[in-house]
Amino acid sequence: MADIFLYRPHFVAFIILFLLGMYIMVVNPNLVKKLIGMYLMQTSIILFFIILAVKKDSTIPIILNSVTALPPEAYANPLPHVLMLTAIVVGVSTLGVSLAMVIALYRQYKTLEEDQILGKMK
Amino acid sequence: MIQPHDSVIVHTLARVFTPIIQLFALYVLIHGHDSPGGGFQAGTLFAASIILPILAFGIQNSQVVLERQAIILGGIGILLYAGIGLLPLILGGEFLNYGELPIPGMEASARRHWGILGIEIGVTIAVAATAVSIFYSLSQRGKGEEN
Amino acid sequence: MTSNLPGFLFVIPFFAAIIIPVVGFTNQKLCRPIALGALVFLSIVSVISLSEAVLHGPLSHEFGGWAPPIGIVWVIDGLNGLLMVAISVVSLIALVHAGPLVEKELSDRVIPFYSLSLLLIAALGGMVLTGDLFNLFVFLEIGSLASYVLVGVAGGRSLLSAFRYLILGTIGASLYLLGVGYLYAETGTLNMADLAQRLPEVIDSRAVLTGLLFIALGLAVKMGLFPLHGWLPDAYTYAPNSCTPLLTSVVTKVPLYAFVRIAFWVFGMEALNTQIPILVVLGWIGAVAAIVGAYLAIWQENFKRMLAYSSVSSMGLFMLGFSLGTETGFAGGLFYVLADTLMKAALFGVAGAAFYQCGALTVTDLARLRRNMPWVLVALLISALSMVGIPPTAGFFGKWHLVVGALEAEKYFAVVAILVSSMLTALYFFRMFQRVWAKPLLPVEPNFLETPFPIKLSLGVLTFGIIALGLGSDLVMGLIFESVIPKGF
Repeated sequence: MADIFLYRPHFVAFIILFLLGMYIMVVNPNLVKKLIGMYLMQTSIILFFIILAVKKDSTIPIILNSVTALPPEAYANPLPHVLMLTAIVVGVSTLGVSLAMVIALYRQYKTLEEDQILGKMK
Repeated sequence: MIQPHDSVIVHTLARVFTPIIQLFALYVLIHGHDSPGGGFQAGTLFAASIILPILAFGIQNSQVVLERQAIILGGIGILLYAGIGLLPLILGGEFLNYGELPIPGMEASARRHWGILGIEIGVTIAVAATAVSIFYSLSQRGKGEEN
Repeated sequence: MTSNLPGFLFVIPFFAAIIIPVVGFTNQKLCRPIALGALVFLSIVSVISLSEAVLHGPLSHEFGGWAPPIGIVWVIDGLNGLLMVAISVVSLIALVHAGPLVEKELSDRVIPFYSLSLLLIAALGGMVLTGDLFNLFVFLEIGSLASYVLVGVAGGRSLLSAFRYLILGTIGASLYLLGVGYLYAETGTLNMADLAQRLPEVIDSRAVLTGLLFIALGLAVKMGLFPLHGWLPDAYTYAPNSCTPLLTSVVTKVPLYAFVRIAFWVFGMEALNTQIPILVVLGWIGAVAAIVGAYLAIWQENFKRMLAYSSVSSMGLFMLGFSLGTETGFAGGLFYVLADTLMKAALFGVAGAAFYQCGALTVTDLARLRRNMPWVLVALLISALSMVGIPPTAGFFGKWHLVVGALEAEKYFAVVAILVSSMLTALYFFRMFQRVWAKPLLPVEPNFLETPFPIKLSLGVLTFGIIALGLGSDLVMGLIFESVIPKGF
């Protein structure tokens, strides 16, 4: 059980970032800090996919000047990278929409703390 | 209303860097075939090159793209992307199958090459326009609507 | 067989969603005809694809010409086709209904409303038809973004509900993506058919179990399954009345479909019965959700909030039906899903009409409609009777098949849950009937508007549809038994 810290420290980093992001999102009453937690959580999942793409002693999956084909073991798996490009775009658009919502809320209630907004609504 | 920045350093550097950023965005767009890059990255860089002068010189002096123009440009960009994707669907192939685009005088692999470049240009325009319109809606005062 | 119909099912609403802002900036009155025309076209094409899929076998469309498992493929079979027909028809009716409401409450935001509604419908269609797990995530997020903005478009209280919906919905989608990552790590493919072939060798590994659990958790947040339904009551109550019929009738059912597709077609019944007993857990959760949702609905005074908790209860019944493990239970669950799209659209349509006419918000306020809007109250009566489960409405036949399926599977807790939730549903709906009809007529209100024709038309079509679906239930059940049930039952 403890060998995960020795042999797989990147997965431990992913778990810590994911839980940290979720903790920030749930506990903090400030709306913008919730968004920071949300984006941190999404970034940790992107990190997870990139970890899956790494191979030992592999180079980048880009065709260089030479025409000789490399065997598949020699370059890192490009599919998770491509999937994560899409996931980054999705994360950025979600962040854009949520920031627009936060600004509209601020213009209406003049505060960014969720409990104060709930108090003003009653 | 964004006021001009006070510092001379910011003014000079914004004046120097804006064309460099745009050139790099074009480079990233066209080299998306063979190296990391492509439509979304180039679009964000273009948007940065439009937003940087606004932040440095104030919105009165350097607003190149108005809000309405930004949204319409975004629509045109997506229409370019979806139109290039729709054309093969109408002509009997599949959606986004550039091998069936009706360009005479080219073989299928070259058609796929130019098809990808076409949709990347559409995506660049759309992403740049969207990012600029998000910037406008986040920075204006008094227009508190969702879009 | 390969066909272009799935491509058109995506392209029609997507193009309409893009064209509406570009055209609408010049002339705002063109938005509504473009939107309605696109949805009529979409409904026709989806009925054609359903008939093709049922008669000639599943239709597949490989995007970009790249063959699976490398490329993304969209497949229409019986389950897809039925759900696509339901989505397109009900969203057409919901947008017809929304016309007068949009002019009244969202008069300066007409273009975003139509554009986002069509984008939502395109994304729901994409989620329903796709055969690739990551493509499902992309469309899940597109649809969710559109629905977050649609919930918050009215400003004020709805903005905070939309923000909470955004946070919780993004957690759900991220958990789904994490689950897909685990499955990809273990098998190396994202295509559903290919995954179904590669899974039996690796099904005993912990990564696959974790993947399925995260996918189930993420989709449960998105569909509003108790206890992960926290965003649902606020979002349904405070969303503007133009958007609620569309949002409440179809948006939560598509993640449910996604889970059913992944559980029964990708993993298969043998795995679900022997190695990964997730259906047992989901059956109990569904039973608890059905009872608790109905119980919480009894205490609500706001009409839309009562209907929101009723939706939580219905989602529990759907999950219960799909997790029974028998053919009748599965078919009953699917039939009840189709019936529920009509019922929810009708009920929230009545709520929207009541608010448009006289600002009615609570259950007691609905009595004010008795003098001037008797036909809207007929729609309310029929859809409420259908929710309780009284023949010959569609809801009765759905619950009947669910109970028969539960008795076949010998899961008596499911029978108890269905009956108890129906009794609790009867309690709050009959209390509503009592408050609306059993009291003396209220005095005439001076500034009552005439019910607009689109609202009357849409509510009439929905009411007719509920009764027609009930009377024609053996046709629909026959279709489901013949072409929808997955292998392995």
